[in-house]
Amino acid sequence: MTVAPARRAVPAARARPGRSRRDTLTGLAFLAPSLVGVGGFLLAPVVVVLGISLTRWDLIDPARWTGLDNYRSILGDPAFGRSLAVTAVFVLLVIPLQTALGLAAALLLDQRLPGSTWFRAILVLPWISAPLALGVVWRWLFDPSDGAINELLGHRIEWLTSPALALPSVAAVTIWTNVGYVALFFLAGLAGIPPQYGEAARIDGAGPWQGLRRVTLPLLRPTTFFVLATGVISSFQVFDTVYAMTGGGPAGRTEVVAYTIYREAFVNFRMGRAAAMSVVLFLLLITVTIAQQTYFRRRTTYEMG
Amino acid sequence: MRRLFLTITALLLTAGCSIAGNDDADGKTTVTFRLWDEQVATAYEQSFAAFEKTHPEITVDVQVVPWADYWTKLPADVAAGTAADIFWTNTSNFGLYADNGHLLPVDVSGDWTKSVVDLYTRGGKLWGVPQLWDSIALYYNKDLVTKAGVDPAALTWDPSRPDDPFRAALRRLTADGAGRHPGEAGFDPKDITTYGFNAALDQQAIMWDFVGSNGGTWQTGDAFTFADQPKTAQAVQYVVDLINKEHVAPSAADTNTNSDKALQLFTQGRIALFQSGPYHLKAVHDGAGFPWGIAPLLDGPAGRVGVVHGVAAVASARTAHKEATTEVLKWIGSADGQRPIAAGGYAFPGVTSVQPAFVDHWRQRGVDLQPFLDSAGGTTFPAPVGPRVGSGGTAYAPVLQQVFLGQLGVVDGLRKAQNAGNEAMKG
Repeated sequence: MTVAPARRAVPAARARPGRSRRDTLTGLAFLAPSLVGVGGFLLAPVVVVLGISLTRWDLIDPARWTGLDNYRSILGDPAFGRSLAVTAVFVLLVIPLQTALGLAAALLLDQRLPGSTWFRAILVLPWISAPLALGVVWRWLFDPSDGAINELLGHRIEWLTSPALALPSVAAVTIWTNVGYVALFFLAGLAGIPPQYGEAARIDGAGPWQGLRRVTLPLLRPTTFFVLATGVISSFQVFDTVYAMTGGGPAGRTEVVAYTIYREAFVNFRMGRAAAMSVVLFLLLITVTIAQQTYFRRRTTYEMG
Repeated sequence: MRRLFLTITALLLTAGCSIAGNDDADGKTTVTFRLWDEQVATAYEQSFAAFEKTHPEITVDVQVVPWADYWTKLPADVAAGTAADIFWTNTSNFGLYADNGHLLPVDVSGDWTKSVVDLYTRGGKLWGVPQLWDSIALYYNKDLVTKAGVDPAALTWDPSRPDDPFRAALRRLTADGAGRHPGEAGFDPKDITTYGFNAALDQQAIMWDFVGSNGGTWQTGDAFTFADQPKTAQAVQYVVDLINKEHVAPSAADTNTNSDKALQLFTQGRIALFQSGPYHLKAVHDGAGFPWGIAPLLDGPAGRVGVVHGVAAVASARTAHKEATTEVLKWIGSADGQRPIAAGGYAFPGVTSVQPAFVDHWRQRGVDLQPFLDSAGGTTFPAPVGPRVGSGGTAYAPVLQQVFLGQLGVVDGLRKAQNAGNEAMKG
């Protein structure tokens, strides 16, 4: 554009700063409610936790600066390593099963069989219930002497106190809780796939299995990424269910990292070490999420409108 | 940098706290009082209603924080400056606050149970006003003991005797679904319908009493030394064997994570002898559909020894209204202030002169509390002490749970538990 540049440049240059400042202010004003939330409840606590992780603080006496001591101490602490390992096993038990079952449920619901609407609502019920309450109810069900599960089996199994069964039992309850949530997202993803693709595949002679594998699943990748990323993060942070069902026992077999952090902070009152553990968990989750994102970005070659 | 973030931290922490409300609009001062027992809270409400009549300028706000969260919430509230003006404490947890200057020393005096006063005296000063106390005795199901021909008042135990009378009595009291007793051919330990005894990882009501009755101890000074004492280990082994070897007590898988399990089994008529404190009187009275009574503690190699534990009310050093707080403390340390607790049948009161009101409440209901009084007046086992003994106890609990489940031997387990407990107490 070269039309009268000299004449236009001057007023434009004069007007721009005022207008843009006003725009910025208006923009900020609109953003303010969210910024306060993000800043006050997300960013500020992160900064505070980082700060606390460099101190020694028992909540009662003033904090003392100790630099990186807490990080050195937790990285050399076998109990912290073990709780990370327990968490990893837990995530590996929960994620594949809950994703597969969620997908299966979504595919079934997508058939629009009679009663689907009701079933969909029932499936999500556990997810909208308070995890702590669910944990308490499941502890009753798992009770070795009078629990409903052993009554049904007619056999005494010590689900929550046997070292081999405790973690799988907690994982099973977590999977049961999350399946509805996962299914809901897959259902939304399925609804976004135009039916023509499936028809075209069928005309080309694809059976139901091939249609699922070669058409539906690739098109569901963005959903799968979301479900996996949020699922991994939430299972890494699982706490309520463990707290209510086993309290980390027996012998630390269900002591996931969030529980260790809780114990360190509110039982042993070593806030600094607990904060340092949280920072390590935070970094670990960021790494895992970035890895997942990289993997899916390479494989998702088209965007769905 | 360091100062900067400490300032930010402090700002953020204090930003979350409400500004302590000293005086209400109508010129009244509100004193907050926190405890963990919902039932006793009812008695305090009655007590404070009377107090407010004579002290119209003070209102007392009773807050109940459930036991499960009490000791995690308290330090957080102390740090945030939102702790109650007066709060209940037990012996395991008050030392830390007393040692760090967070409590006001008690400068009022009263007619209080001496053993509780002793528990809360540290560094030559009294830090809490005694509120109530517990001792341990043996609740028994009259139908079951009569049927088995066991006299609950004459029970003795001795871990070194092969013909130990207590174990013999428990075998007679325990039965499986087919009516067979432990030791008989075909007895099925997975199908027990009636248990002899509530052996479990219940330190106050079971484990420490057996340890004391065998001549063992738990601590030396503030440190745990239980693993170093053969008599302590022998007593713990005895209790664990009652569960896993003798099969006369419910499995630890049932009782470890559910502390009310034994109480439920007793009120369902499925445990014959239930060793516990007066804190379960109301639940047993309301729940048991059979005649029951209370017998003295078992007689062991070192005699009848039980734990006496007391609850005290302490005042926060950071209270914004010291005078009103002191007035309330005086009241809850007085006979009139504690009468509702005693007369309502809630607990043995800390004030000696109102004790008869509690005993009368239960006598009118056909329950004789003498065994609890005898237990408190006899040889007692000291409740745990030390500034961080609460953390130590929480640290060793998972190890002892394993011991009671039979997943870890008693000697190894006690050693591991002792190390974990002492490590946690270092802070």
